[in-house]
This record gives sequence, C-alpha cells and structure tokens, in this order.
Amino acid sequence: MSKNNEKEPLFSAKNMASLTNPFNKNNPVLVQILGICSALAVTVQLKPAVVMALSVTVVTAFSNLVMSLMRNSIPSRIRIIVQLVVIATLVILVDQFLKAFVYDVSVQLSVYVGLIITNCIIMGRVEAFALANKPWPSLLDGIGNGLGYGMILVIIGFVRELFGSGCLWGYRVIPESFYEAGYVNNGLMLFPPMALILVGFIIWFQRSRNKDLQEK
Amino acid sequence: MNKNSNTYIIIYTVVMVVLVAVLLSVTALSLQPLQKENELGAKKTAILEAMGAQEADYASVVKAYAVDAEGNTIEGVTADDALQMLFGLKGAFDAGTYPVFENVENGYVVVPLTGKGLWDDIWGYVALDKDKNTIQGIVLDHAGETPGLGAEIKETKFERTFIGKTIYEADQLVSIAIVKGGAPKDDIHAVDAISGATKTVQGVQTMLKTCLSYYDAYFKSTQPVAESSEEAVVEGESNTENTENNEQE
Repeated sequence: MSKNNEKEPLFSAKNMASLTNPFNKNNPVLVQILGICSALAVTVQLKPAVVMALSVTVVTAFSNLVMSLMRNSIPSRIRIIVQLVVIATLVILVDQFLKAFVYDVSVQLSVYVGLIITNCIIMGRVEAFALANKPWPSLLDGIGNGLGYGMILVIIGFVRELFGSGCLWGYRVIPESFYEAGYVNNGLMLFPPMALILVGFIIWFQRSRNKDLQEK
Repeated sequence: MNKNSNTYIIIYTVVMVVLVAVLLSVTALSLQPLQKENELGAKKTAILEAMGAQEADYASVVKAYAVDAEGNTIEGVTADDALQMLFGLKGAFDAGTYPVFENVENGYVVVPLTGKGLWDDIWGYVALDKDKNTIQGIVLDHAGETPGLGAEIKETKFERTFIGKTIYEADQLVSIAIVKGGAPKDDIHAVDAISGATKTVQGVQTMLKTCLSYYDAYFKSTQPVAESSEEAVVEGESNTENTENNEQE
C-alpha cells in the first residue's frame, strides 16, 4: 500500500514522532478536530474525564495495533465494516472490565462507554495511519492520539469542575469562606457549550504560539 | 487467494465473526461473577444510604426478609433471597413477594421501588421510621433520564426534601405527592417537583404510590398503636433537623 495516501500534516517515518505529534502539532481535538462530542460530554467532572481518556487511549492503541496487523488481509470492499467490528469488540471488552474492576466508575460512564465507538478519533486514526503502517508505529500513534485527546479532556475537566462546582475529583477545593463572601459557582461551566468555548480558547492559545498551524 | 473475490470475503467475514463471538462470550462469562458481586454491593450501599447508615456494615446492621400481600413474613425466604429479588424486582412484586430491609439498630425499614420515568426505568429505596409512616431517607436512580432535568431525581438536593414527610393520613395510604409549581410549605404529604422534569417526577410519584401500596398491610400490621398525625409531624421535623446535622458532619 502506498504511503502517499497519508493525510497527516507532518509525514515522518520516525516512531517517536508518531507518539509525540498528537500532543501538540497534530492534536486530535485541537488540530484534527476529532472527538469533540465526548470532550463536551464527560468533562463536567475531572474523574469521568480521566477514565474516558484512559479508555479511549486503550481502545485507540489496540485498534490501531490490531488493524495494522490485519491490514494486508482485509478485503477492501468490507474495510469499514471490519474496522467497526474490531473497534466495537474492543469497546465492549473495556466496558466489561470496567464493570468488573471499577464498578462505580463504570456506572458514571455507562452511557459514554458505548459512545466510544462513535469517537471519530479511533476510526480516523485507523483510516489515516494504521491501515498503511506497520504495527509498532501504529500502536505508538494510537497511544499518542489517545493521550493527546486525554490531555485536552483533563484540562477542560479541571476548569469545568473547579469553576462549575468548586470541587476537584469530587473533593471540595474552594473553601466555604469564599462562598460566604459572595463567590458563586459558575453554572455555565456545567453546560456543554462552555466546553466548546474552552476548546476554542485553547486553540487560540496554541495557534498564536505555532505559526505553522495558522491557516493562510 | 484473491483478496477481493467473493469467496474470500465470505470466509473472512465468517471467521472474523466467530472469533469475535467467542472472545466476547468468554470474557463476559468469566467476568460475570465479579460484576454481579459489584452490582450486589452497589444495591447494599444504596439500601444503607437510604437508612442514613452509609458507614455501617450491611451484614451486621440489615435484616432482610420478604412479606406477602397480607403483610405476613414469608417463610423460607433468606436474607440472600430477599437481596436477589432486587435483581428482578418487578417479577418479585408480580409474584406477590415484597422484600423488606430492616435496620436492626434503629428500626428503620427500607422497601425497594421500581417504576418508569420519561425515557426508561427508574428505581429506588425508601426508608421509613419505626412508625412505618415517616420517611427518613430515599435513594432514587434512573436508567436514562435527561441530564440536568429528570436525572436530578438522583441528587441529594431532591431526595432530602422527602425526609420527615409522612405517607399515611389517618388510616389511608396517601403516599407523597410531587407538586409542580411547589408544594405548600406545611403539607406533610407533598414535596416540590423539579422544574423541567415533570414527566419524570410524575413517574416517581406513581412509583411511590404503587410500590408503597404493596406494603400497606405489612405497614399497618407493624405500626405502633395509633399516633395522631400531629405527633408524626413533630417527630418528622426533629428527625429532619437531626438528619441535616448529620449530613453537615
């Protein structure tokens, strides 16, 4: 398969580039604009954001790995269907493990776990990278994209929980004295549009520092 | 073999599907005991929470049994059986078996609830005082109500409003009314509804009425000898203060 089909902005054969690019120059949320839906939905609190980030990282990494291993045997006509089957299987496995080992978290995430399969990052990376690259770089790419997505989720979750409910990881952080002095939790933080606005701020910050990300 | 020939595609699909099916079945079956245990633990925690005894040890504090429609304890139903009924509560109710969870330390009884919200199932546990009349705690949950609206029934803020309310008016089981636009302040059988969640709280109201009525005979037969409803209100108010103090701790 020709490598000229790649869509990533920075084409590089180096494995480390696959791993680190998604943190900044090729961040799935900020640059590829993928995975926005779950970035809005699970970031009301920090804990589900972290669990979702870890789950997506695991699924993206392993689906990249599996698809890369299978890439030479998949009939091109059912390519998308095979991707869906592999990703859905991985997601169900993650869900089963969560229910068995971290039950309280799985209850919080219950709806969202099933939504991981609809997260564009996973299929996006399989199509853009895993089907045309060897297993090891694909695995690294999957991990990198998962963690790049996770980083954004943690930042947004941190801001939203702190300013929206005065807590972090469920523990009260803003002291009572602030509330008595007149401080009020920012209710807007609890709504999804606020997450989108925060992503916008981060994109603004990133692009002002990275000239090559700015569109001409 | 040509990767794009029909034969190859069909064989590939069949093999893939079989492998995936085996993998998922094996995983699900082997993890099932752990998962069931977790679900059971969560139910026990909910029961303890309704009783206001979150820190307690379920095994030493809760006595579980089942009663029939006449209020008599059903022979041969062990504590574990009663817990298992929670996994198929509607079926248990239809079969005429009604589980009860009693706190041996303070005499509170918790009965399970099951019903329908706007989109999907809702359920919960309500704890009554020894007088089988005053609500001392309630835990509500839902499968798929709207976040921020129907899903608010799960919040302590809403659950707290039930504490101190009574379900009997003289001999009549009136349950709790959930009033849109706000319940009158001195109404001991009503709480405020949740704005924007009318259908869900109506589901809660119906769930309470239906499920509590299953236990009507049991409650009546175990109530202490007739107190006036005024006494129940006073008891309810002082219990509310106590509960609020406990929560602030």
